[in-house]
Amino acid sequence: MTGKFILMLSALMFSMAVLAADNQYVLGVDGLACPFCAYGIEKRLHKVDGVTDVQVDVGESLVRVTLQEGKTLTEERARQAVDEAGFTLRSYAEAGDEAGSSDAK
Amino acid sequence: MRNNNLGVPVLVGTLLLTGVSAVQAAPNTFNTALPVAEGQYLWREQLVLRERSDKGPMDRDVSVQALGSVLGYGVTSKFAVFGVVPYFFNKELDVTTPTGRVERGTNGFGDISLFGRYTLYKKDFTGSTFRIAPVFGLTAPTGDDNDSDRFGELPRPLQVGDGAWEGFGGVITSYQTLQYQMDAQLLYRENGRHDGFAQGDETRFDASLQYRIWPRSLEGVSGTPGFTYALLESNLVHRERNEIGGGADANSGGTQWLLAPGLQYITRRWVVEGTLQLPVAEDSNGDAIQDDYIVRVGFRRNF
Repeated sequence: MTGKFILMLSALMFSMAVLAADNQYVLGVDGLACPFCAYGIEKRLHKVDGVTDVQVDVGESLVRVTLQEGKTLTEERARQAVDEAGFTLRSYAEAGDEAGSSDAK
Repeated sequence: MRNNNLGVPVLVGTLLLTGVSAVQAAPNTFNTALPVAEGQYLWREQLVLRERSDKGPMDRDVSVQALGSVLGYGVTSKFAVFGVVPYFFNKELDVTTPTGRVERGTNGFGDISLFGRYTLYKKDFTGSTFRIAPVFGLTAPTGDDNDSDRFGELPRPLQVGDGAWEGFGGVITSYQTLQYQMDAQLLYRENGRHDGFAQGDETRFDASLQYRIWPRSLEGVSGTPGFTYALLESNLVHRERNEIGGGADANSGGTQWLLAPGLQYITRRWVVEGTLQLPVAEDSNGDAIQDDYIVRVGFRRNF
């Protein structure tokens, strides 16, 4: 009985953690070709409300953006931030939906 | 003792503006058209060690040790402004006179330059970009232009300041990929006249190739690793003769071609770099002094 209770409690906690997980987006950025340039994109995306982390993969021309729970990054806002950094948004997708990412051009 | 014919044709602003590029993964000896993000600052320091000499009877040697400080700011993603403040630790002339060998020198802050760069055209691709950006600016006569020593007032080309306003403009183009980067710049500088002296106007064409030598491949490399570039830069510079009083100084100006091999290490926030500029060909007017070498080392930081 105790074992079942612990199991159920663990499952509940896990599902709550999943529900509380941050929102993640993957942006394809054209024009990005060196490490020093990556910082400008990080800086502009960090100004978006709710953004907690920005990771640039310069070799893949991808930017992974993490937002707080309940916050979203619209494609329009992502394009604006990338434009302000001087680059071009190529694609936009929520993490886990990269296969269905939209062509942002 | 006043002598304006020393043939030290590169003034503070020219030396440091054209020598201290201000932006991104730029060449070491001139600028790039790569973007500065809106609201982003760039800070750069470059130490310049320059040796010049001539083979004439005066056996002149000119030695310059200077630091160029640059602050850049992205007003918009297309328009960035930059300020360049040069400081001369030492600007020294050794020359043979009828009374023997004489050493003259000065130090201090030079002429401050302000310029803007606008991205007129850009074409972004996945992992590469092509850009064209005009640049325009002014150099203000903020440096001391009438310093003296025990022999009297220093020759005008030896002063840390020009004493006159100068204007410059040109166009820069850049093509950058993950493996290499090419930049080219065409720049014209018109020098003003002050107290009967005008430095010769300057036209220059610069080109640069930067090639990533580490990491050798980006396969399996995630995130934003530091890049090490080998670079080779070319500077073709033509200077008109200086004007003294109402006439041209026959022993000034000319055309020179410099090549500069170097290395750059680039991370997200820092660039550390160094080049050695060497004259390949020089066609100086009269007995104008020629470059022996120019060393440039420095760093850049974005914030």
